[in-house]
Amino acid sequence: MGSLARAYGRPLAALIAAITVVWVLVLVLVPLGAMIEQSLWWRESKGDTSLAIDRLYNDMSTLQLDRSSATDPARQAALDAQIAEKQAQATALEAQEKNPPKVYGFDNFTRISELHLYIFARTILYALMVTLLALVVCYPVAYSVALASGPRKAVILTVALIVPYAINELLRVYAWLMILDYRGVINGVLGWFGLVDLDNRGWIPFLENPSAVFVAMIYTYVLFMVFPMVNTLETLDRNQIEAARDLGASSFRIHRRVIIPHAKPGIAVGCIMTFMLSAGSYSVPQIMTRGQGGDWFSQLVYRQFYESNNWNMGSAYAVSLLVVCTAFILIMMRLFGVGLRDIAK
Amino acid sequence: MSASTESRGAQLVLNIYVGLFCLYLFLPLAVMSAAAFNAFDYPSVTQWHGFTLKWFVALAHDQRLLQGLYNSVMVALGVIAVSIPTGLAGALILTRLGERSGTLLYSVLVSPVLTPGIILGISSLIFWREFGVPGGLFVAVMAQSSFIASYAMLLFLARLQRQDRTLEEAALDLGAGHFLVFRRITLPFLAPTAFTAAVVAFLQSFENYNTTVFAVGGDWTLVTEIASRLRFGLSPVINVVGVIFVALTLLAATAYVVLKGKPAR
Repeated sequence: MGSLARAYGRPLAALIAAITVVWVLVLVLVPLGAMIEQSLWWRESKGDTSLAIDRLYNDMSTLQLDRSSATDPARQAALDAQIAEKQAQATALEAQEKNPPKVYGFDNFTRISELHLYIFARTILYALMVTLLALVVCYPVAYSVALASGPRKAVILTVALIVPYAINELLRVYAWLMILDYRGVINGVLGWFGLVDLDNRGWIPFLENPSAVFVAMIYTYVLFMVFPMVNTLETLDRNQIEAARDLGASSFRIHRRVIIPHAKPGIAVGCIMTFMLSAGSYSVPQIMTRGQGGDWFSQLVYRQFYESNNWNMGSAYAVSLLVVCTAFILIMMRLFGVGLRDIAK
Repeated sequence: MSASTESRGAQLVLNIYVGLFCLYLFLPLAVMSAAAFNAFDYPSVTQWHGFTLKWFVALAHDQRLLQGLYNSVMVALGVIAVSIPTGLAGALILTRLGERSGTLLYSVLVSPVLTPGIILGISSLIFWREFGVPGGLFVAVMAQSSFIASYAMLLFLARLQRQDRTLEEAALDLGAGHFLVFRRITLPFLAPTAFTAAVVAFLQSFENYNTTVFAVGGDWTLVTEIASRLRFGLSPVINVVGVIFVALTLLAATAYVVLKGKPAR
């Protein structure tokens, strides 16, 4: 802090520090805290409250009936007292029904239904598979782009990758929707060859299969794997490869011992970005299933907020997702021996 | 051409593979673009009913999409206004902090980049509701800024690492005030980066969906409107939007290649 003040003077240093503090608090930490807090409480509304209220009112009308037929003043007074007591109970229950008490605990996390838990696990599994497949598909691409000979070739290749990357992700998903649709490109081509009968709705329903989401997701996020890998591989000294080859190493061995170790930070970053984007993706499943299926966990989160209007449960879901993503990042960092500063290059 | 590091056969296989990969990237976009010119009412390329430009006209009259475009631009400008000063402040502090405290602050400031977008949207939505601000364009600006400011900070940080600090110190020794030094030396040095950061922020904001959809409430941006169109009733008007996106991106990329390719020769 002292060196900041020395460099820019006290007023400016104070301003810079203030802006940073506001950023950390207003945009990052407090919203996160608010979400976690929201996930830790719920309104205790017992489902049978309204039933109990109805029963009390029934009892009261019976007592009223008794009271109107009773003649003994002592009996009348006793009935009045009973009615008043029931009325007080009903009023208390009604207040509770209108504004149920706030209760803190982990119930939002433990109350998750079996189906939702299954979708959660499947989302994580699919995201891992997307990440792995993207890594395998991209490695050769990143390798040849990074080591492409001639600056022009490298520029053109990079542009060929950047253009689809810059197109909005929704439009990229939409392109796949058109390909896999009932009367989409694949069914259309199959129809020309007479393999499916489109006129009698004999198409193959690709979109009804969860793998449609999977296919579109790889297409959408594959480039987030390519660029970090290209960035690290570009710094590789090609003489190292030449030297290894001259010394008689096989191609496989060169990749395993020279190239992959060098690409490690890029691989880690690529995996983290791809996993994070696909596990938290709302756009791809929403468009591919056209909002019909609840195939992806993010869709469940959205519904908790905007359809069930249960923000507490929704926050708990979001926190669970965040925990898994954070764990994934930490595991990757440990596994590849990279720090946070390598990641954000 | 420098010598290839692979045998000729392996190089050929690799080139074919990369070619196929590029085809895989571009073919779906070509399909989507082509359908924008099909006279058929449902976006398709296999049921070709003749060439038309009527969907372009339909787009020009689509009030919700045009309003969405306007909203997107407003949100993007808001994001620039929030994230460039914050990103700059964060970068200035980090370059002057020691190793340990610096790493902690760095982790906090970079964490939004590594957080799933929907979580940023949700936490902003909950935070601002506490102040009585419902989901809308303002919350969208705040939610997007939380991670776009990190990108801006990383850009500034990279630039500041290449800064020659002796210039500032010399100016101070020669009697210039701190404000003057900041205005005449530090800011001009950072200006190109600020421009880059603003462009990046604009694009990131404009394209963002996963964060925005949670934060935007009943309002809409171009991208969230496209998403709800894709959900309820497909129309080739969306393909027209796609064609425009593809055309603009190709144009920018070509300009980049031409500019970058020239001095290399």
